[in-house]
Amino acid sequence: MTSTIERPPVKVRASSQRPDRTGARMAPLFGLPAAAVVALLLYLPFLWTTYVSFTQYDGLASPAWSGLANYKAMFSDPDLVGALVNTLLWVVGMVTLPVALGLLVAVLTYGHKWGTWLRLPFLLPYAISGVAVGVIWGFVLQPDGALGQALGFFGLPGAHTGWLQAGPGNTLMMIVAVTWQAAGVNALLFVVGLQSIPAEPLEAAKLDGAEGFSLFRHHLWPQLRPITTVVIGLSIVGSLKTFDVVWVMTQGGPGTSSETLALSMYKETFVLNDYGQGAAIALFLSLVTFAASILYLRYQLGESREQG
Amino acid sequence: MSRVKTAVLVVLGLIWLAPVYLLVVNASKPIDSYDAKTVWKPAGFSLFTNFGDAWSKASLGDTLVATTMYSVIAPVLAVLIGAAAGYAIVVLRLKRGFLWFVFIFGGTIFPLQMILMPLFSGYANSGLYDTRAGMIIVYTAISVPFSAFVMRNFFTGIARSVFEAAVVDGGGLFRIFRSIYLPMAGAALAAIFILQATFVWNDLLLGLTLSQSDSVRPIMPALTGLQSTYGGAALPTVLAGGLLVSLPTVILFLAAQRFFSRGLALGQF
Repeated sequence: MTSTIERPPVKVRASSQRPDRTGARMAPLFGLPAAAVVALLLYLPFLWTTYVSFTQYDGLASPAWSGLANYKAMFSDPDLVGALVNTLLWVVGMVTLPVALGLLVAVLTYGHKWGTWLRLPFLLPYAISGVAVGVIWGFVLQPDGALGQALGFFGLPGAHTGWLQAGPGNTLMMIVAVTWQAAGVNALLFVVGLQSIPAEPLEAAKLDGAEGFSLFRHHLWPQLRPITTVVIGLSIVGSLKTFDVVWVMTQGGPGTSSETLALSMYKETFVLNDYGQGAAIALFLSLVTFAASILYLRYQLGESREQG
Repeated sequence: MSRVKTAVLVVLGLIWLAPVYLLVVNASKPIDSYDAKTVWKPAGFSLFTNFGDAWSKASLGDTLVATTMYSVIAPVLAVLIGAAAGYAIVVLRLKRGFLWFVFIFGGTIFPLQMILMPLFSGYANSGLYDTRAGMIIVYTAISVPFSAFVMRNFFTGIARSVFEAAVVDGGGLFRIFRSIYLPMAGAALAAIFILQATFVWNDLLLGLTLSQSDSVRPIMPALTGLQSTYGGAALPTVLAGGLLVSLPTVILFLAAQRFFSRGLALGQF
């Protein structure tokens, strides 16, 4: 009698603990593939690149230690300084143009009867690859091409401009091309942000007579701060990596006038076989990217940590 | 006010659609009737002939088969590997799980530039350079961190009692993963798959660095090749190629818009 009474609690405790014990013992087996793949193909190369960035290395002989020489070259070699300036232009361009346009489209379409449809033209280019964007805009920006003909048709100046033929104009035009691609994504993110704003205070503000720009300035904009941080963080990270569009449209040229650091890294390494220089550029880009990522990762990881 | 809004949106929208219009119209022109001075006017329709030309001239056929393989196999592998990691961390309560998670997710933080050169050297030395297996491996590795991130969050939302009941029923840990947790995660798995497949399809840099032959090289590097080889003479062909490689991702995107916006908020791309 006593044994049958005592049994159930024991059994319950055993079954609620067993999964944890066997689970914890077997757990590394399930986690290992992911950790191994990431370690082998992402972290190991990362460490090698870091080491090589402090050496002279052509990919054949062994790397020869050269301290900060590659980093100094980045800030003294005129081509690389040019690439640095262009990359800066990209960062500034991408945190302003596509972000502002994305915000505009989000605010105008949010709550609009046909909002989803009116947003579609801006979203369409996002699904297109960087390479295809480059092909399309390379075509649009041909000398006396589509843009020139349109300007001519409306009697505007600049119809015969060689858009991609000199810096920094070529970089600016490519920023326009990527704005075309990226504005819709930002709009989508801002719409997600707008959806998370509680409706009642907003209704109250409207009843109080707030509308148009004042409604936006005092009631929407302050609440959009978290998502704005994410959008700007993503824009910075994305702009630092700019490669595809430039590779397709100008290959960094004419000369090196439109080169970005991401492109210089590729050229130094795979065209000029200066692996050390390429690695130094890569590490520099990574550090800046990392700093920018902290902006929005803190927000993201904070969110997921609360859940887990 | 609402009318002003609509007007602004319509004008902006038309400007946004103009490049798409130019792409479609000029990709459709027969090569002989293409005139650089009248790109805004439609002239004839031989889109499918141009698709065919792009297909054969850039060996887009071969490369399309390879790219389709990469964009299906790599994301599937990544989704499974990432889900297993999420299962280990959340459900099996892996010791120091958060550290494991940070380690795996940390793989996405640095730009591709950081790993290109070692991958190139490593691939050249190990015989993986210019092989389909090599491309699948690298695309899988790149996709794992994001997949683990989403799956960890997803499994966190599933009640503990599900696991306890499954163990009482006598299921092994692998079987519980395969026949209970994976099926429950269908929507999350699909979202990751779609986002990663798009990433792989649109990749230029890894393909450019780790492959060279027509049968291995992914579609985006192949398209840049077409552009530099046939740029001036056969623009409609190049544009048709650009349109052709964009169609799958555009269709996928329109069909699965909400997955994309969710993925974006998670910081992918």
